[in-house]
Amino acid sequence: MNTTPLTRRHFLRAAGVTLGLPFLECFAPRGRAAENAKPIRRMVCICTPLGIHTPFLNPEQTGKDYALTPYLEPIADFRNDFSVISGLSHPDVGSSHDSIFSFLTAAPHPEIRAGFRNSISLDQFAAEKIGGQTRVPSLSLSAEGFGLSWTRSGALVPPDLWPSNVFARLFLEGRPDEVEAQRRRLRNGKSILDTVSAQAKRMVPALGARDREKVDEYFTSVRELEQRMLTAQEWALKPKPHVNAKPLQNNNNSTDLIGKTRLMFDLTHLALQTDSTRLVNMLLLGTSGVPPVPGVTMGHHDLSHHGQDPAKLAQLKLVELGQMQLVHELLANLKKTKEQGESLLDRTMVFFSSNLGSAASHSTKNLPIIFAGGGFKHGRHLAFDPKDGPPLCNLYVTMLRRLGIEAEKFGSSTGTLTGLEV
Amino acid sequence: MLSLLAFSAGAAPGDPRRAFFESHCVKCHSGDKPKGDWRIDELTPDFVDKGNRERWEKVQEQLASGEMPPKSKPRPPQKDVKTVTDWIGAQVAAFAGKEGRVVLRRLNRTEYENTVNDLLGTSAKLQDMLPMDTSANGFDNVGDALHTSSFLMDQYLIAAETALDQAITNRPKPPKFEQSHTGLKDAYQVKANSENTFRKGDDGRVVMFSSSGWVAANMFYIKERGRYRFRMSVSGIQSQGKPVTFSVKSGGGGMGGAKPHLVSYFDAPPDKPKVIEFEDQMEPRTSIVILPYDLPSAQTVSKVGSEKWDGPGLAVDWVDMDGPLNETWPPESHRRIFGDMKQDKSPIYNQSDRVEVVSAEPMKDADRILRKFARRAFRRSVTDADIKPYLDLVANRLAEPQSFEKAIRVGLGAILIAPEFLFLREVTGKLDDFALASRLSYFFWSSMPDEELLALAEQHKLSAPNVLHAQVERLIKHPKAAAFTTNFTGQWLGLRDLDFTMPNHIVYPHFDEMLRAAMQLETELFFRELIKDDLSITNFIASDFTMLNGRLAKHYGIEGVSGWEFHKTKLAPESHRGGVLTMASVLKVTANGTSTSPVVRGAWVLDRILGTPPRPPPANIPPLEPDIRGTTGIRQQLAKHRQLESCATCHVKIDPPGFALESFDVIGGYREHYVLDGRPANYRKGKAVDCADVLPDGRAFRNIDEFKQLLLADQDQFARALTTKLIIYSTGAPPERADSAKIEAIAAKAKANGYGFRTLIHEIVGSELFQTK
Repeated sequence: MNTTPLTRRHFLRAAGVTLGLPFLECFAPRGRAAENAKPIRRMVCICTPLGIHTPFLNPEQTGKDYALTPYLEPIADFRNDFSVISGLSHPDVGSSHDSIFSFLTAAPHPEIRAGFRNSISLDQFAAEKIGGQTRVPSLSLSAEGFGLSWTRSGALVPPDLWPSNVFARLFLEGRPDEVEAQRRRLRNGKSILDTVSAQAKRMVPALGARDREKVDEYFTSVRELEQRMLTAQEWALKPKPHVNAKPLQNNNNSTDLIGKTRLMFDLTHLALQTDSTRLVNMLLLGTSGVPPVPGVTMGHHDLSHHGQDPAKLAQLKLVELGQMQLVHELLANLKKTKEQGESLLDRTMVFFSSNLGSAASHSTKNLPIIFAGGGFKHGRHLAFDPKDGPPLCNLYVTMLRRLGIEAEKFGSSTGTLTGLEV
Repeated sequence: MLSLLAFSAGAAPGDPRRAFFESHCVKCHSGDKPKGDWRIDELTPDFVDKGNRERWEKVQEQLASGEMPPKSKPRPPQKDVKTVTDWIGAQVAAFAGKEGRVVLRRLNRTEYENTVNDLLGTSAKLQDMLPMDTSANGFDNVGDALHTSSFLMDQYLIAAETALDQAITNRPKPPKFEQSHTGLKDAYQVKANSENTFRKGDDGRVVMFSSSGWVAANMFYIKERGRYRFRMSVSGIQSQGKPVTFSVKSGGGGMGGAKPHLVSYFDAPPDKPKVIEFEDQMEPRTSIVILPYDLPSAQTVSKVGSEKWDGPGLAVDWVDMDGPLNETWPPESHRRIFGDMKQDKSPIYNQSDRVEVVSAEPMKDADRILRKFARRAFRRSVTDADIKPYLDLVANRLAEPQSFEKAIRVGLGAILIAPEFLFLREVTGKLDDFALASRLSYFFWSSMPDEELLALAEQHKLSAPNVLHAQVERLIKHPKAAAFTTNFTGQWLGLRDLDFTMPNHIVYPHFDEMLRAAMQLETELFFRELIKDDLSITNFIASDFTMLNGRLAKHYGIEGVSGWEFHKTKLAPESHRGGVLTMASVLKVTANGTSTSPVVRGAWVLDRILGTPPRPPPANIPPLEPDIRGTTGIRQQLAKHRQLESCATCHVKIDPPGFALESFDVIGGYREHYVLDGRPANYRKGKAVDCADVLPDGRAFRNIDEFKQLLLADQDQFARALTTKLIIYSTGAPPERADSAKIEAIAAKAKANGYGFRTLIHEIVGSELFQTK
């Protein structure tokens, strides 16, 4: 038997995974009473950039009594924990792979590259409101070079490409000298920012209005980073949660869609259950290489341009079924993790979709959507008219409200999504 | 509501402009539910406000193109339209005159990496640490689209630290440099491989007969990061007088299983050994990998045995390695900052021999170091006031107390994220010599001005026309000008997308890494050739030569070129090649890896070559869903398009160039037939390609060769388009509507000189557009 006294660390270790006790019950960073009163709400947004073949996904019937489709089979045991939603799209986002830039932002016309300006993404919008409550305001994961998160001014938020780095950042304590070096970095960083923001101010008077906009943007960025560093300084003083999982190793196979996705899903589960963040988004791999899936011999991108060729569709199905099995794993992990007697899944919205409705034609209409968890009444196929359906942003507003954010509008929304109830 | 029109301030009551808006626009475009979600009654006369200005420009565009008022409404008299559009144009021009056309622009991540490395004398890979930049007008160095965020600033802090770590050394002089003279016989694969694919001689010579990846020779295992020089004695044997080509990769192996990068391909000349030499920046625990190209598999060779094998082979006599190439210690990058300042022991946890720069007079040394650094970092001479904030920063770090070197690093780090470093600052009106120096260096090198440019600027000599001309000549001949070729062709012609799709390996089994590398080089070398010999830009459309190596010549079906080396090669008329449109690189980036689309390629030609990008399809039109099973070909589908008036306006322009290019498959191979059902391209013939069409003006062509000739008939349009692209790229902003006469003038001057490409570049640098903000 373990005879050492039960330290906080021990308790956390047990709480994190083994006993399934919620992390926050024993060590809430702030506002503990309030946190206990209100369940924590979380959001996970997943985009698979080469689409999902919707004929294999969307049921023919609408409502509750739909017949399972090939892609719903793998997640059938969570039938009452998810909704299939069809017919949604971003109204002003045209057909192109570039639609990925607007997936969580709904900024109009990414496909016309000249003059396109992105806007804030759903996760960053939410992070502005609720991000300060966790060690990391939001996690933007990606298996591609870029990600799904964008700032208010339309700048890309650099995504995390290496799960091992995120794991270390969230769960591993450094050596004392490393911790000291990190604190020095933050101190020095803050002084540097003070200096350069004074310089930016010095520049302003001589500038015209348009140049001033640029320096203002710089100035705001510096101020925001100073704020983030202050919060980081506070967090740096708090020990990191311990998880009963081996540090994640990166997957260096550039075509391994399944392996890379599993890593990101595992990381998401760990980050959510330790309340390290409440907002995760991820861009899955979409390469032209051949994914190491048994029976698949052609590149994923090539398969997505199937042109209705039965041989290609069969292989595409193998790849996409592999993805659906992982979705099942993620849902199962969230379902079995409990927090205050409730499953993590009931407190986490999982939005699995793509920027393409049909990759074969780069169509951006009728996007594939699985929407799970979050405590909604699920179990139905919500079918909207692809030609005249509500904008996808209506679902985004519904999601923001569920996070406890009083959002009236996001992107191209015209309201909340009808048919989704708590 | 009508009387409250915000724009009434710009158009007083009774003003004809106001009457125009009131009678033609306001009825639909106002109130709670305006048509097209577009309210004209909210526009104000404030042309400084970006959003407002852009909405006015949209109004101008809609009126000028006749798009608005809609066809169903009465048309206003043309002269009224002109009054209004002229007024908007004048307001925009007045604003531009006050503000300058070019908005303050941030270094993009390519420029940032080059600049930091040139500044510090390092070769740090920093681009990938920074978020992707957004593009506008086709280029990612357009200031308007380059934003700043707190995330970016955070990454800049980290990138600066990474670069300074590489520049400043904290290690005592390494005991010895790694040097080695060895043969391939010591490579692990050669020693341990049981397949009989290597012929080993007594003198250490090894002949490699197979191109199977797993019998590649891994050489050396680098312990110290740095730049290494390699020399190898190689020859081709049993190769019928032809060179044997091989690849050298570097950076593979190591613990992370990192992917190696291609150093280059080389040709081993037949029979007579030749010493080849290359350098590479290497990380610890990585190797170089040598592999012959296009030789049989290891199994094939092994069955016969390497002694009896009579096919071509790569003979390697010996390999020399020398590095890290530090001429001095501490390395040049360290001395650039600290000179010969003393280093003392400063051990940490896992490095007992660590040293740090120390100073007896810290503030005096700091002043000298920062002053010198800031001048180059800010690309101009600096005053006391300029460096005071950074000196103060160092002083308060020293007071904390932090060590001298750590405090200096903070000062340098601050300069590396200062606005004066990150932004290319220009004042309204004619550029001063410093701003001009930066425009030149970022145009040709995507990096900071070197000492010569900076010195000329300090002496106010740079803007003298003869000096400027000489500097352009110098810059463009400098090896750093490779950045211009790569970044300009990478975006103008889209070569950055070469890896975006991987062609289907069943249909195109012959697509390999060497072909991919050769495609890009053909276009880049061709581009440089036009600059070097000041050849006419019309060569971009049609030329009687191109740059070929053996692999590409084979791809194009052209005889007489072999090996990796590129040669300027005369093209026969029946080759169907010449000019960028028929280069494999361009044909690949305009296809999706599986199929070609005349719409995509046609739109590409209109945008990139003619400078008249088509409008995007209306939102309610679904894209063509390809169906390779059906009998309807693309031509039938598109023919339907052209019968609808709304589609036809654009598609009569888009489709013809697209059809002309249908003679080329997704990797730029010439074809007369489509592939059949995803079978290998050379397996069985599918439907015949029909590439004839008619231009909107009625001129017909039967094939790509005739199409190119039709394009050549209007050289001026291409010249204007290319000039516009070059102005955007070189100044970081698109020309305004009102600048069309200036573009015209630049193109006309180049025309007078036979449209020489280098002449055009000189004309651009000499132009008012280039030399004003």
